[in-house]
Amino acid sequence: MSSKTSTQTALPRLGAQLAPILIVCAILFALPLILNNDFLLNKVARYLVLGILTVSLALSWGFGGILNLGQAMSFGIGSYAMAMALKLKTVPVHTGSGGLPDFMVWNNVARLPWFWEPFKSLGFALAAGIIVPALVAAALGWFIFRSRVTGVYVSIITLATMVVLNLVIIDQQSYTGGFNGITDLAQLEIFGIAFDAYGRATFYLVASCVALSLLVAFAFTRSRAGLVVQAIRDHESRVRYFGYDVATYQIFVFALSAAIAGLAGMLYTIVMEFASPTFLGVQLSLSVVVWCAVGGRQSLVGAFLGAVLVAGVQGALSESAAFLETWTLVMGALFVLVVLFLPKGLAGLAQGAWRWIVQRRQLSHEIAQSVGQTKEGSA
Amino acid sequence: MTTHLDLRDVSVSFNGFRALNGLNMSVRKGELRCLIGPNGAGKTTALDIICGKVKPSAGTVTFDGTALQDLEEHEIARAGVGRKFQVPSVFRDLTVAENLEVARARHPGVWANLRWDIGGAGRADIERLAALVGLAEQLERPAAYLSHGQSQWLEIGMLVAQDAELILMDEPTAGMTVQETRKTADLFARLKGKHTLVVVEHDMSFVKAIGDIISVMHMGQLLAEGTAAEVEAHPEVRRAYLGSGGISNA
Amino acid sequence: MDQFFEQIITGLSIGSILLLVALGLSIIYGSMGIINLAHGEFVMLGAYTAWLFRNYFGLGLLAGLIPIFIVVAVIGWIIERFVLSLLNNRPLDTILATWGVGIMLQQAVRLMVGSELRYVQLPPSLSGSMDVFGLSVSSYRVFLFVVAIALSVATWLLMNRTTVGMKLRAIMQDRSVSASFGINAKRVYGLTFAYGAGLAGLAGALVSPLKSVSPDMGTGYVIDAFMVVVLGGVQSLAGTVASAFILGELSGAIAFLQNDTVAKALVLLAIVVLIRFRPEGLFTTRVRA
Repeated sequence: MSSKTSTQTALPRLGAQLAPILIVCAILFALPLILNNDFLLNKVARYLVLGILTVSLALSWGFGGILNLGQAMSFGIGSYAMAMALKLKTVPVHTGSGGLPDFMVWNNVARLPWFWEPFKSLGFALAAGIIVPALVAAALGWFIFRSRVTGVYVSIITLATMVVLNLVIIDQQSYTGGFNGITDLAQLEIFGIAFDAYGRATFYLVASCVALSLLVAFAFTRSRAGLVVQAIRDHESRVRYFGYDVATYQIFVFALSAAIAGLAGMLYTIVMEFASPTFLGVQLSLSVVVWCAVGGRQSLVGAFLGAVLVAGVQGALSESAAFLETWTLVMGALFVLVVLFLPKGLAGLAQGAWRWIVQRRQLSHEIAQSVGQTKEGSA
Repeated sequence: MTTHLDLRDVSVSFNGFRALNGLNMSVRKGELRCLIGPNGAGKTTALDIICGKVKPSAGTVTFDGTALQDLEEHEIARAGVGRKFQVPSVFRDLTVAENLEVARARHPGVWANLRWDIGGAGRADIERLAALVGLAEQLERPAAYLSHGQSQWLEIGMLVAQDAELILMDEPTAGMTVQETRKTADLFARLKGKHTLVVVEHDMSFVKAIGDIISVMHMGQLLAEGTAAEVEAHPEVRRAYLGSGGISNA
Repeated sequence: MDQFFEQIITGLSIGSILLLVALGLSIIYGSMGIINLAHGEFVMLGAYTAWLFRNYFGLGLLAGLIPIFIVVAVIGWIIERFVLSLLNNRPLDTILATWGVGIMLQQAVRLMVGSELRYVQLPPSLSGSMDVFGLSVSSYRVFLFVVAIALSVATWLLMNRTTVGMKLRAIMQDRSVSASFGINAKRVYGLTFAYGAGLAGLAGALVSPLKSVSPDMGTGYVIDAFMVVVLGGVQSLAGTVASAFILGELSGAIAFLQNDTVAKALVLLAIVVLIRFRPEGLFTTRVRA
């Protein structure tokens, strides 16, 4: 076979995989033109951010085989990084002097703790929101994957770590705002653009980040390293005998996934206008897993749409409290059913349907051809 | 030819069962060595020791002058050792092309692999490999859809892709038809000389077709070594196989 | 010196609660390979059943223990039969399925009895305190310690001295071989899961007088219990017992010096560091790789 045919087969495959991402992004950027309601746009932006978080989980779980039950931890760290920086921007307005956030004044903290200092720089905060989650994940990953801990153990340890961090944040009220989180934030301003939670600029920022996350994640999964990561998911020990240091790859994908989750966390603070311990709570972390499973863990776009759809429906129903209670029950049941009968989620269903259509068309094409040939032959 | 692989006094036990008991064996460069022996003789364990899946409790494994027994699996692989498992071990959710791509590990580090390689020079290489193992038409199919024989071939192809100096094969023809087995023998004949091969096999006709020297293992030790005719005539070997109808039926 | 012993006894008391909760989890994981994320909900169900029995049937806590065990075990059996048995050889998916089941159980309880806190009374006979090595200790805490140890021993006997236990161990070794000897793996798995769930229910009932009962009470317990299992290593009942008390003492001591949260954080940190050196847990020996 010549290399000409190889590019012919490889490129359409790439196109077919990239197309859904590009379509989704195009729709997102067009949305503000159709949807003329700032309140609604903000709501949609929230779901999009949760979509990014779910994409990050799909990367580590669907592609890397690492079921991180504490994915919201990275999200929460990102969210707090952003909130700390924005809080410090309000300081002169709210307390007048001392350079202390209001909740610290209430808690009789005398001076700004050392770990708050660097957040006076917005640039530092933006970098920290991505890098800190990645570093934390890499460190935790070093312990987990170098020890060859796999499967369910990883899930328990990630879950436990998140729960503990959540408890620490609630416990250290005077430095973290405790149970209430960090509220009353300034608006983010970069290069003279103010990102009001209800403004279009924020929506475009979120949409751009969706596009960025999807493309980065996609590029990674199509790289050789991404292939190795998927190979590890399928048969971990086999990969070692080809000379790959499995733990390094696992740590890498774990950290990359955490970095994307951190980005989502920062955006969430912007669209919600606060940071809260619930952002790294079990409830959210659980929901992310559900969205990812429903949408399809082995499909980036599937996971993204799964989050937007399920969270969107949940949001629409949340107007009525009684309904929301029942909804949680329904979601639990839906989740169990998906796990039992639809391991690849809705994306798997869609792919199956697509393949079926293509095969049918090919088949009818072939039949038509062979009919044509026999006609020629008889003529 | 020089000694390429050398096992000295290698012992290992599982829960008190001595799977290897002072095994000594050396293989020359470019040789195709067949490893035979009755069930439980420790053949698979010997391969496990060489590739690092199992750590020996005593003894040394030297390959190309490097001591392997204290290295991790991936370090052993990087030193030039490839392994085919008895149960075909391929990546089920990856396509045939992707499986071969993963096996073509030129630079095993994660940063070196953060690049795309679509339609490049590597692709031609993969098509050549796929053609070699008769999977040219299946390149874009997930490995999960392959038949048992095809999976065996894919894994053999992956080992060729890995281009290891020393290739360890654990029953490569298990589940293959007579025709496929013959094809495998042809392939091995081609690999020999360029690569050093150690093949664990039950099928005596296959062993006779490919092997120069045969090592017979029994109870975790080397029992005899020589050509097919020599080992078949060996009295110890006959005794070890007693009751199982002789070496050809093992 | 008195304070030291008091601290030791606090640790033992925390340890016995940990052990009660972790025992069922450890049995289910060790023998079926299922990480049961609904375990906390079984604990919660046990506590609610105790409250229900007390308030609607006038059944005291001690008299109710066996019925509570049976109720939660039956729920566990149903879940195994209709959800988990469909997930053979998909260990990661059992986590998800049990998590989903957990949400449903929690939400169902919330819908049926509301999310306000409920309280279960201490059994009158155990509401006093008694003298242990010259220290006054709450009788109920001594009772918990004795029950935790007794249940561990009973579980060991069940696993090692009964036919069901023997069959279970055979299935753990090799499911298909044991099936060819006529062992019904499905049935044994169902019973094992039911037993583990029943133990969790008992744990919930027993801790209910110490803390308030709420639909989400299980989450906290189950995380602690997982740490016990991780530290103790699977398939080791003795490991579970030892690690429950080690963690109990450790948490007690750190909590005494700092506070509960710091204790939890430090214990987790210690466990994460520890698995780097002993990934198989503290108390298990390596078997063939």
